Amino acid sequence: MALNFQQVLDKIKQIGMGARARQESLDVLREHARQLLDSWADKTAELRDKVERARQADSNIRCALPLDERLDASTPEPDPSTDEGQNPVTLLAADGSQILPDRHAALQYSLVNVGAIAMQLGSGQSPEVFTDSSLLFADELYTETGMLTKEAIEQRRDIAERRKLLELAPDYPAPLLALTDGPVELWGAKNGGEDDYRKNLEIHKSVLSQLQAKNVTVAGYVDKPGADLVVRTLEIGEFSTDDETKNIRKQHSLRGVTDRWLFSFLPAGSRSAVFGLQSSSRVHYTGDLALHFFYLNVGYTKHPSLARVEFPKWVAEDADKLNLLHAALLQQCRVMGARPYPYILHRAHEIAVVKFEEKRQVEQMLELELRRAGGEVEEGSNKQSAKDLPGKTRTK
Amino acid sequence: MTNSIQNEDKMTNSIQIGHLLRASTTGFVAGCSVSQLEAPAFGALLRAPLDKNYSVYGLITDIHIDDDGLVRQLVTAGNVSPEVMHDNRERRIVPVEMSVLAVGYEQGGKISHLLPPRPPLSLDVIYLCSDSELARFTGAGHFGYFRHILQAKELPIGEVLAAHILDVKRKTKNETWVEAATRELITLLRDDYPTLMSVLGALGEII
Repeated sequence: MALNFQQVLDKIKQIGMGARARQESLDVLREHARQLLDSWADKTAELRDKVERARQADSNIRCALPLDERLDASTPEPDPSTDEGQNPVTLLAADGSQILPDRHAALQYSLVNVGAIAMQLGSGQSPEVFTDSSLLFADELYTETGMLTKEAIEQRRDIAERRKLLELAPDYPAPLLALTDGPVELWGAKNGGEDDYRKNLEIHKSVLSQLQAKNVTVAGYVDKPGADLVVRTLEIGEFSTDDETKNIRKQHSLRGVTDRWLFSFLPAGSRSAVFGLQSSSRVHYTGDLALHFFYLNVGYTKHPSLARVEFPKWVAEDADKLNLLHAALLQQCRVMGARPYPYILHRAHEIAVVKFEEKRQVEQMLELELRRAGGEVEEGSNKQSAKDLPGKTRTK
Repeated sequence: MTNSIQNEDKMTNSIQIGHLLRASTTGFVAGCSVSQLEAPAFGALLRAPLDKNYSVYGLITDIHIDDDGLVRQLVTAGNVSPEVMHDNRERRIVPVEMSVLAVGYEQGGKISHLLPPRPPLSLDVIYLCSDSELARFTGAGHFGYFRHILQAKELPIGEVLAAHILDVKRKTKNETWVEAATRELITLLRDDYPTLMSVLGALGEII
């Protein structure tokens, strides 16, 4: 038997027995969080000072930086009549996928695939789709410090997505909105990949600046956000002593409450206030590149579906760009009906994803070419061979 | 090889309508994008040239458009914008599939109404026969290919025959062939009254 169901079942029963108590405890925390949001709503300057003090104690703290809007502000969907006379917006979206080198496979290679789509809303025209595939082999798989890590390849993918948007932007009329899935912020710098991260970060910032120069509205869309950025800020607001501020990492009075729940009061189509993003990357994304976000209810009033939308400062400070972003995201989410998610991002994903059959085809083509040219092709590992035996369905 | 075939077919005015997805001796399935769907029609004669001297002929017996998860979700949303509609029809990889019944082949310039010795291969280009090719195939032999249609009990035989005969009538203007074809069908189905009635009922709509 692959699984000891008896042990799992015992644990599941325990979880079930504690469910009511956990829910009651969470409800208390949620109630408290909502009260804190109300009480701090119009004291953003004071709260911002507290966040600054917390940041001085721990610059890696990840939370929301209140700006001038009330914390509980709710901005309804922009009135479409205000757009009359303007050119229709063109949406650009890019997404990427990757094949990581597998030391158990016969061939060591990697592939970064970027799918992009350009759609002019209201044009009635067919969107244009693009695919860029980059195969990495032999020396290309190594850096000065060793073999490319999973994170390094994922960063390359992220950079390739942004570069594709930059490449496409001049081909379309303004106003332009460039979307990617996930945060705008470039993730990484773990597992000893700091050098790669720094290089990619510089490229990323350069691409963002060039997009800004082209007057493109740039945003990242985070579906079902798990973050507690604003909740964390409310926790910080509760600090009354310097000790609490110094031990910020241990202070989680609202643990379990998410921003997604906190902003579920937003009516359908409304967005929250705009917040600054306080994180370890704040030192990198400065000036017009400083990262901001709002929450957006792309669902319904009775059945909210919250997304976090991240964008640079140059978007945050431009009311027209904010409205364009707000309206376009709602329009795109409505295309998808009961499970709202921007259609154009789904299509970019669909274009980018490398299917298993395609991966096998690439491997066959590469193997064939190597053999024809007299190159060496190793066998896959014995371990992988055993895993691939018929009847084995486990992947780990 | 492919270029020479395509040039040859430009000369015969055949229209490329798709590529082969899967095949057997008795039939094959061709796929095309929605933007290519204007040319093929139910009952039309297709040709799959495997090489210069060998082509397989077939009749379209079904055209189907599969859905997928995204399409199902989009229809529930109500208002589908023209851009989204075009995107799904022209850009997404959801092919229109045409089921084709093999009805004969051509080898070394000679047309046969027997089943083809070899089916076409994956991704072979499929052409809609030009008017002259249609006249040439239907005029060869003595309606031998009708038996493949009549034996395909899973098909709407009367409808396939009616669509095919109407296609020939419109494109070749050969009324004599239509009359002869109808007589041949009556002869072939003389012992199968229900099918004969079904076929004649369908033919009654077009003659």
